[in-house]
Amino acid sequence: MLVTMSGVRMSYGRWPALDKVDMEIKQGEFLVISGPSGAGKTTLLRLIWMGDKPDFGIVEVSGFRSDRIRKRELPRLRRKIGIVFQDFRLLHSRTIFENVALPLQVTGAGSRVVQKRVISLLARMGLSHRRNSFPHELSGGEQQRVAIARAMVGHPVILLADEPTGNLDPEVSREVVDLLLEINRGGTTVVMATHDPRQVPAGKGRFLFLDKGVLRGADQWIELEQKS
Amino acid sequence: MSIIRSALREIAINLHSKPGARLITLLMVAMAFIVFNTFLIISWNLQNIMDREESLAGMEVFLERDITQVEGRVIGDLVSSLQGVKSVYYVSPQEADALFRAELPGRIDLLDVMGSEFRLPASLQVAFDGEAMSQGRIEDLSRSIRAMEGVDDAVYGESYLPGLMKTVTTIRRLVILLGIVLVSSISLVVFYTVRLSVVRRSLTVDIMRTVGAPWWFIRVPFVIEGIFMGIAGSAGGLALAAVLSEVLSSAVTHRFMPLSWIVLVILLGAVTGTVGALAGSYEKER
Ligand SMILES: Nc1ncnc2c1ncn2[C@@H]1O[C@H](COP(=O)(O)OP(=O)(O)O)[C@@H](O)[C@H]1O
Ligand SMILES: [Mg+2]
Repeated sequence: MLVTMSGVRMSYGRWPALDKVDMEIKQGEFLVISGPSGAGKTTLLRLIWMGDKPDFGIVEVSGFRSDRIRKRELPRLRRKIGIVFQDFRLLHSRTIFENVALPLQVTGAGSRVVQKRVISLLARMGLSHRRNSFPHELSGGEQQRVAIARAMVGHPVILLADEPTGNLDPEVSREVVDLLLEINRGGTTVVMATHDPRQVPAGKGRFLFLDKGVLRGADQWIELEQKS
Repeated sequence: MSIIRSALREIAINLHSKPGARLITLLMVAMAFIVFNTFLIISWNLQNIMDREESLAGMEVFLERDITQVEGRVIGDLVSSLQGVKSVYYVSPQEADALFRAELPGRIDLLDVMGSEFRLPASLQVAFDGEAMSQGRIEDLSRSIRAMEGVDDAVYGESYLPGLMKTVTTIRRLVILLGIVLVSSISLVVFYTVRLSVVRRSLTVDIMRTVGAPWWFIRVPFVIEGIFMGIAGSAGGLALAAVLSEVLSSAVTHRFMPLSWIVLVILLGAVTGTVGALAGSYEKER
């Protein structure tokens, strides 16, 4: 099991953002976590990359346990994880090449290795001609592809995408989802959080729903939808 | 090795961005250091004056009462062979008597009252080599002379210059106090500047963290920034104090600090900058 959550509860103030969460993510699957805004999707992803630790329960990711991991081990966990955000989070004073190269450079990879990997990845994503541009010169769709390239450059075992299409129009959104599906076909586990589960075609992934911090299976969700 | 290169690039990028806030901090640090340097210079010059005065005044060595003239001259020869001593003049009891009467004509009867049995002790008047012997060397010298057979006491500076002594001690205490105030306030200024820098670059810091940069890699640019501000601020303060000292030199004759003090001031800047930056860039586990 790549990710295991057991009895997880996480609150920011008085109300839990996540409660009684038990779930597992298998190697190689495409998991869609859906639910309305404020349901706890971002919180759930943060727990996976251990940007936060749960108040109760245990999160285990690729052998690292939230209750045992030490501060200086966090970088090693994060190098196994690629993360993509709704707002892209690119460094605007650096070129596309530098943005994509960043995860390799902070691990001390040699410049020739970095050069080779980044150039081939940019070529695969159709961004070669943008290599020396700056993020603000790119369209939203291109920026998100750069962010995905940055997330993938270190060969992560799991890719976390938090509302990756939130700032994009429908056509570009579809391209981004197709790219994520393609990455998943290459063997990388993908977890995508979205308020709109229809973005991922049924049958292409496993769907979970968050309802005010509580996790539901797809069938339970449909029941809930029908009742309301 | 490449990670060091990457870290160096991060430092360069950090130092490049938004020089405004850093300039204000530099100015504040430099200003604080000017005040500190001024007191250091005053302290240094007073110490010099005192050393010179003490050297010029020389030392008076009182011999024990039962020392004969021959013995006294032997002791005088011994003293004159000591390092730092230029000349020794033997003052016999008769001469001392005559000098005393000459210096204090009104008190002649004082000696008469004491009776013919009373004699002033013989003494040695010691002149020092070189104009400015340091206080420490004079102290050493007086200690070895006092320890000599037949010597009752050796008197120098401290009895001649009590006012100056006190001023120097007071200034020295003030310098130490100022140093403490300086260290804490500059650390605080650097702390807030670095904090601000961390907040301003929080997106970069967050990205660095999510892509798995080691904590030191994220932190080192900010710490370098603090050290840089400490060193540049103290160096700037020194430069401004030097200019001020040059401008005032015609009005008040004085000397600038010795090199070793200059090095110490810059070191103080570096240390306070480091402390402030380490505290300012501290992050809880995330
Ligand atoms: N940093 C935070 N401080 C306080 N409350 C937060 C914070 N982050 C999230 N929350 C709260 O936690 C709940 C879940 O938020 P989030 O995980 O961002 O939901 P989602 O991503 O599904 O929109 C919300 O009620 C939100 O207001
Ligand atoms: Mg969210």
